[in-house]
Amino acid sequence: MTPFDFQTANQASWKELESVLGKGQRDLDPDRFLALYRLCCEHLALARSRSFPLHVIERLSSITSRAHQVIYRQSDVGLARVARALLEDFPAMVRRLWAYSAIAAALFMIPTIAIAIATYLNPDLILSIVDRRTAEAFEQMYSPAAQAIGRPRDIASDWMMFGFYIKNNIGIAFQCYATGVVFGLGSLYFLLANGAFGGGIAGYVASLGYSSTFFPFVATHSAFELTAIVLCGGAGLRIGQSVLLPGRLTRVAALELAARETSPIVFGAVVMLVIAAAVEAFWSSAPWVTSTAKYVCAGFCWILVLCFFLRRPHAK
Amino acid sequence: MISTIDTVITAETPEGIAISMRAAGFPVRCMAFLIDALIRYMIVSGVAATLGPGGRVGTGVLLIIVFLILWLYPIIFELTPAAATPGKRAMGIQVMMANGLPLTPAGSLIRNLMRAVDMLPLLYGFAIVSVLMRRDARRLGDLAAGTIVVYRDRTSPTSDFGPGEPLPPPMPLNIRQQTAIAAFGWRVNRLTPERAEEIAVLAAAAVPGAKDSAVTARLVGIARWQHGQRRFIPRDPAEQT
Repeated sequence: MTPFDFQTANQASWKELESVLGKGQRDLDPDRFLALYRLCCEHLALARSRSFPLHVIERLSSITSRAHQVIYRQSDVGLARVARALLEDFPAMVRRLWAYSAIAAALFMIPTIAIAIATYLNPDLILSIVDRRTAEAFEQMYSPAAQAIGRPRDIASDWMMFGFYIKNNIGIAFQCYATGVVFGLGSLYFLLANGAFGGGIAGYVASLGYSSTFFPFVATHSAFELTAIVLCGGAGLRIGQSVLLPGRLTRVAALELAARETSPIVFGAVVMLVIAAAVEAFWSSAPWVTSTAKYVCAGFCWILVLCFFLRRPHAK
Repeated sequence: MISTIDTVITAETPEGIAISMRAAGFPVRCMAFLIDALIRYMIVSGVAATLGPGGRVGTGVLLIIVFLILWLYPIIFELTPAAATPGKRAMGIQVMMANGLPLTPAGSLIRNLMRAVDMLPLLYGFAIVSVLMRRDARRLGDLAAGTIVVYRDRTSPTSDFGPGEPLPPPMPLNIRQQTAIAAFGWRVNRLTPERAEEIAVLAAAAVPGAKDSAVTARLVGIARWQHGQRRFIPRDPAEQT
């Protein structure tokens, strides 16, 4: 069969598939569409193996690849899918990768506690972590005399701080996650550095005697914020492990697998950080709420977060 | 047909056919990025000018918008049906999954969060090295997400020989010779006559009675014959698309 005969014999079905693809997805007849698709796949394979003219092959490969996209498209991207990713996939994946989260938690908390104790005993140490201006800014932010806790004096709006927290904290979480691709070193560094920074500030502010403002301030939103940063760091360690020790996969395949596994964690962590930013801007910093109320609320939030991740997955 | 110097990437479907995609390389992606950067800059400065009188609340909203534009701008645009940011769309490229399917939300999320790594050590250094080194021009984020940036439109080769006389080959031709002659026949309109003649002379052995002149026309005649054209036709009626 010459290319010319091939084209005249089969052109009608190519035209039909093209016109079906031109129409909306709703009003196509699935059986006919699939039959046409398979037929065109056959024609394409035939045309390639017989070295038929390039324009025939190009036309066939263009319509088959368009039909392929319609047939194999993943269609569940609605709100229900988002809710499932957040409420089921996220905690399920955290439970499955619990070892990475545990290591990340240790990497974050050990410097936090160690440096907090060190700066509490010797407040001058804070200057080896942050410069003098930053230290003074924190001193002033958590002073009991501040009209709103936890924010520099020249900034006087909850909304402004909300924006700042979102930009700053989610950026930190993304860094903790993505830099894991450099053999896990990036996640390691950001977990340790952020732990040391937080611990340093906590110890320094406590040594000044500002505990009564600082701890009620951080207790509530840290339930969401620190958990999310640790989870992102753990996900970054999983990414780093896939590059460093890919096992029986190629490095790229291992990285792809790790990224797929950790994407629900990053998505969930972003939502947690938005909650944290809202709490931090509108509740933690409010001077009219008593410390007792803040502690009670904080306890409630920590239990909520822990239950969210530790609850038994319900049977399908 | 797919050689090592070409940028065609193939992905196999369950039906056993190979879908071919043309990977977008460094210059075109760099241009797309610069266009996007300009658009982002204009949005931020526009919003800043509008919210400037908004006081502290305005500054807060501005910070949120800067964050959204920094991290979510590509994700949101890549999840539209065009699967491309405005810059990519202007350059005629789009993002796909490497298996030839439309981009998934998880794919877009990962490839754009991984920008945090691709930006290192400075000016997208890792991304540039990866794009230049790989034949499929994927950066680290693309590798992690299983995505690829490809050209949207295919140039369709000509489907018309133009008027002319078919010529039966003087001897049996094997499949490679047939393929080469057919490919020449389809390409000849895009070559200068001199260059066409230079190439045609290489196949002179397969052309009857070609001592000096008009090898090109005779070789195209053989290509016509192979294509299935058996008699003189003023215009090829095969297809007018």
